[in-house]
Amino acid sequence: MQDNIAIEVKGLRKEFKVSSSGKGFLGKLQALFHRGHKIITAVNDIDFKIKRGEFVGYVGENGAGKSTTIKMLTGILVPTSGTAEVNGIVPYKDRKKNAAKIGVVFGQRTQLWWDLPVRESFDLLRVIFRVSRSDFDRQMAKLDEALGLSPLLEMPVRKLSLGQRMRCDIAASLIHNPPVLFLDEPTIGLDVLAKQSVRNFLSEINRTEGTTIILTTHDMNDIEQLCKRLIILEEGKIIFDGETELLKQKFVHEKVIEVEFYEDDCVMQGIPGVTVVREQGCKKWLTFDSDGSGIGEVIGTIASQYKIKDISVKEPSVESIIRNIYDNRIKLSTPSSKPFTK
Amino acid sequence: MKPELFFKFASISFQKQVTYRFDCFVGIVNGFLYVFIFTSLWKALYSQFDTTVHNGFTLTAITTYAVLVMAVRISFTMDDSIIYRKVMDGSIAMELIRPTSFFFMNLAENVGHSLFHIMARTFPVVIISLLLFDISIPLEPVRLLVFIFSFFAGYILISMLNFAAGLLAFWFVEIFPFMLFKYALFTFFSGGLVPIDFFPEFLKPLVNFLPFQYMLYFPTVILTGRVPMAEVPSIIISQLMWILIMGVICSLMWNAGKKKLVIQGG
Repeated sequence: MQDNIAIEVKGLRKEFKVSSSGKGFLGKLQALFHRGHKIITAVNDIDFKIKRGEFVGYVGENGAGKSTTIKMLTGILVPTSGTAEVNGIVPYKDRKKNAAKIGVVFGQRTQLWWDLPVRESFDLLRVIFRVSRSDFDRQMAKLDEALGLSPLLEMPVRKLSLGQRMRCDIAASLIHNPPVLFLDEPTIGLDVLAKQSVRNFLSEINRTEGTTIILTTHDMNDIEQLCKRLIILEEGKIIFDGETELLKQKFVHEKVIEVEFYEDDCVMQGIPGVTVVREQGCKKWLTFDSDGSGIGEVIGTIASQYKIKDISVKEPSVESIIRNIYDNRIKLSTPSSKPFTK
Repeated sequence: MKPELFFKFASISFQKQVTYRFDCFVGIVNGFLYVFIFTSLWKALYSQFDTTVHNGFTLTAITTYAVLVMAVRISFTMDDSIIYRKVMDGSIAMELIRPTSFFFMNLAENVGHSLFHIMARTFPVVIISLLLFDISIPLEPVRLLVFIFSFFAGYILISMLNFAAGLLAFWFVEIFPFMLFKYALFTFFSGGLVPIDFFPEFLKPLVNFLPFQYMLYFPTVILTGRVPMAEVPSIIISQLMWILIMGVICSLMWNAGKKKLVIQGG
């Protein structure tokens, strides 16, 4: 493994065995004697490499295998086959060694002690991660400034609001200043302001500390604002891995032209390669073929033939692009092969 | 695992127990009830015979055994469903992301739990029993010392037994029946009800084949003076051997179980 590679994954696969029993009383009774087993592939032979200092969005629908991948990279789950290395360590073989060099946040859980004040939880983590008192104080001062922890320190964790708890959990994952940070839905359930402050902080540590960050999220604003690179997962397979910008360019024909015509010129005749996706009075939303004419030509054609009151071009959002990818895929695959939600 | 960390975890677990004060009060009554039932039972049984010594126990000796075995058993109180609950709610994931041994974290939690029960339940039960029953404990310092050692060895063994039983949660959704089975095996074969000396001949090979007698029976009889000091070293060696064997079983189960683990709730 080269020095500048933080994570390397080769042919990684995780299968879960789920038992299926029939419905109703008779079905359950039958299951007492004979139970069917089904193998579900949560992560299906994936490969990727992540360089040091990258900020990668790891997205996919529910059950696409995101969390399962993260759990293998953090040493919680053992892969069925394939290999993974994080900081040159195999996480499922050297769990403790790996754990010392990574930070992990699972948005739906907390790694703090429910009944203890936040300060004591942090202090316990300091001992667990063998951080010296002086390093700890320095790191805490930094985290406090960025995440506004001071007012929370004396509160027991169970009394924190979700946003407060998440700030504390993110701080907890960084106490030992790990080179690699895994964030599994860290903005889940946060309000707009809290989300923004978490985003600002993540982007800052990525820039200043060079922390490699892998982020799974359902919030496409997280991706658009933070992740230069995007890995999209579907049914356990990687269906896109590349720069977020590249994805946008690839789907440039998803650009929507919003035109408002004058009353007397409201009826627009068909222009080759242009489709009307929506209309509302004299306002129309148009899309065009990417392989046909360019955006300039399309606008030129419209402007030369009709009287335009207002025109604007909408960039495709990552969300709409991903929704499109999902939609097309879902049509291709059979519903029965849906992966296990984990 | 650093000792500092071990004690911190034990102390958190101890403090958690303090919250359940009513449980503790019921526990004292419960423990004393057990002692009372067993001592009464022995008294009634002994009065049926003309001979005063049965299987090497006088009435005083068997009463002493009944009280002390209960005292050791109460001291060994631990929550054997911890691992099961952590697997069930998925919180085990949050422990596995820490650079600490899962076994020692679990042991630390048990120690905190037990420490509370020793202070809050063992002592009251022993003190009340000393006042009410005819008990004789040989007060030899060396014997007391080896008892403490044997007690710790027994504690580690039972902790390992619970750890291994708890790991079954990696394979099975419901492990309560296993726990009941474990409880029954342990209570009977550890000498928790009746000293091993009273067991019928055909059971003795089985008893010697199982580790349970090294958890309760031997630490207790070392304290009561039933075992001559000369036999103590071989008992302690057997305990250490069983710790080794159980350690291997636990680590094999842990390594196999990791592959089966499913994190519930995402």
